[in-house]
Amino acid sequence: MNMYLHELKAYRKSTIIWTLSLIAIVVLFMSLFPAFSRDAEDFMKVLEGFPEEFKKAIGLSFDTLATILGYFSYAFLYIKLCGAIQAMNLGLSIFSKESRDKTAEFLFTKPVTRTQVMTAKLLACFTSLILTNLAFILAVFGTVSMVKTEEYSGQALLMISGSLLFLQLFFLGLGVFLAVLLPKVKSVITISLGTVFAFFMMGMISSSTDDEALRYFSPFNYVNDYYIIEHLRFESSFLLVGAVIIMMSVLTSFLVYRKKDIHSI
Amino acid sequence: MNVIELNNLTKMYGKARGITEVSFHVEEGEIFGFIGPNGAGKSTTIRLLLSLIYPTSGSATIFGKDVVKHAPEIKKEIGYLPSEVFYYDNMKVIDLLKYSASFYKKDCTKKIKELAEIMELDLTRKIDDLSLGNKKKVGIVQGLLHEPKLIILDEPTSGLDPLMQQRFFELLEKENQKGATILFSSHILSEVQRLCDRVAIIKEGKIVQVEKIRTLKENNYKKFKIETVSKVPDDLFSRLSGVNQLEVKGNTISFIFRGNINLIMQKIAEIEIANLWVEEPDLEEIFMHFYQREE
Repeated sequence: MNMYLHELKAYRKSTIIWTLSLIAIVVLFMSLFPAFSRDAEDFMKVLEGFPEEFKKAIGLSFDTLATILGYFSYAFLYIKLCGAIQAMNLGLSIFSKESRDKTAEFLFTKPVTRTQVMTAKLLACFTSLILTNLAFILAVFGTVSMVKTEEYSGQALLMISGSLLFLQLFFLGLGVFLAVLLPKVKSVITISLGTVFAFFMMGMISSSTDDEALRYFSPFNYVNDYYIIEHLRFESSFLLVGAVIIMMSVLTSFLVYRKKDIHSI
Repeated sequence: MNVIELNNLTKMYGKARGITEVSFHVEEGEIFGFIGPNGAGKSTTIRLLLSLIYPTSGSATIFGKDVVKHAPEIKKEIGYLPSEVFYYDNMKVIDLLKYSASFYKKDCTKKIKELAEIMELDLTRKIDDLSLGNKKKVGIVQGLLHEPKLIILDEPTSGLDPLMQQRFFELLEKENQKGATILFSSHILSEVQRLCDRVAIIKEGKIVQVEKIRTLKENNYKKFKIETVSKVPDDLFSRLSGVNQLEVKGNTISFIFRGNINLIMQKIAEIEIANLWVEEPDLEEIFMHFYQREE
């Protein structure tokens, strides 16, 4: 419990900053919606000139863009990018900081098992992300209800914005996995930005080609917002793959972490 | 009873040497010195004992329990002070100490206050703002606040001024009298001599010698460097027994001496000297002696 609270406190500031940033993006995007929907037709005309693949890659869908949910889904792509970086940063940082800040000698000479350390850290990560997501969803519903021009499906909005947590867990798992596996993590932000952007690009390519197989390699596309708007459900096969990857990365990390040599400097 | 027991403990870092077949034991209630030059394997051995790293082969027990299997249980009674202390930034000293205390199921508030007073440590400062010496003090209080039965110190004195070093040694002696066993690693011979009952000497990952400090003290090594006013005969010192590694360069003579110091002082009094240095030889020079004896 003491380790959990300590870690939670240590990442309090960064969690707050990331949460506020996510909310700021939501507010910024959604505040543009009234203006956008008024001139939607003009926008469409301009956008129509773009190549089809490009439009798909950046997440534009013409059928729905003028509706509030469609517009939100478009914005959500960039929120996801931001959220993924937050989660990966968190996982990578919290599991590599003992060796980076040389505090390993402090923590690992205490009467605790590695498993306890890891559980406490994971729970702290999880709590941070849950709090971020709660604040985010509240902000989404708040702003959307303010700028809406017609009725929308609250369930769809909840499912889309709630899928941020799923994506974050994926990148949290990946971050933890890398932190435990790599012998030394010197710069957290370089690794997390690099990895997240690589997956983001993969997601863009996968979106523009409609290749189902490629989609399994792009966690950004495991949840298809437009599919949710249409069917009000997730695509279970992708959800399952995502969940398995998350569990595998956490499980492997546990196993490696228990046997890992903690080196000095 | 042996508090610490090492049986052919070996650690390889890939193909690089860590330590090879290290065996020694530390008895209950003794202050055991562990000396060797930098990179000899002192820290590796200690990190193995604390299961920060795991052995390639061999085993070690603390309080009769295997250090790998019973690590958390053993660590309840261990206080550890690393050579370099880096603690979580952005914390006040008292917060860190309380965090440290929260791992042990006892009330350490009184002990923290007591230790901080002895070491003159300001508990309200932020750790970031502390000097190296003050950080070291945080480490000392942190390592002792739960009144451990075994205290492991890895080159603990670096950064402490002589006065604080003295206080720290007194503190250790007091804990020792109360029954704590101490493993004291260092590369400074004099502080080991001052504090320890027995020492193990490690070089290149291997134990060279385990000796009583008394024996080492009888082997009273001194390093002499003499600058003479005029040239003296080359063989002035070489015929004296106990003189090692004699070097004569112009008017400067240097050697390592072991034996009755009065003899050498009389010899020096016979000649006119311009300058004189008498120093503790560093470990390397002592080790040279150990190797020479082995051959």
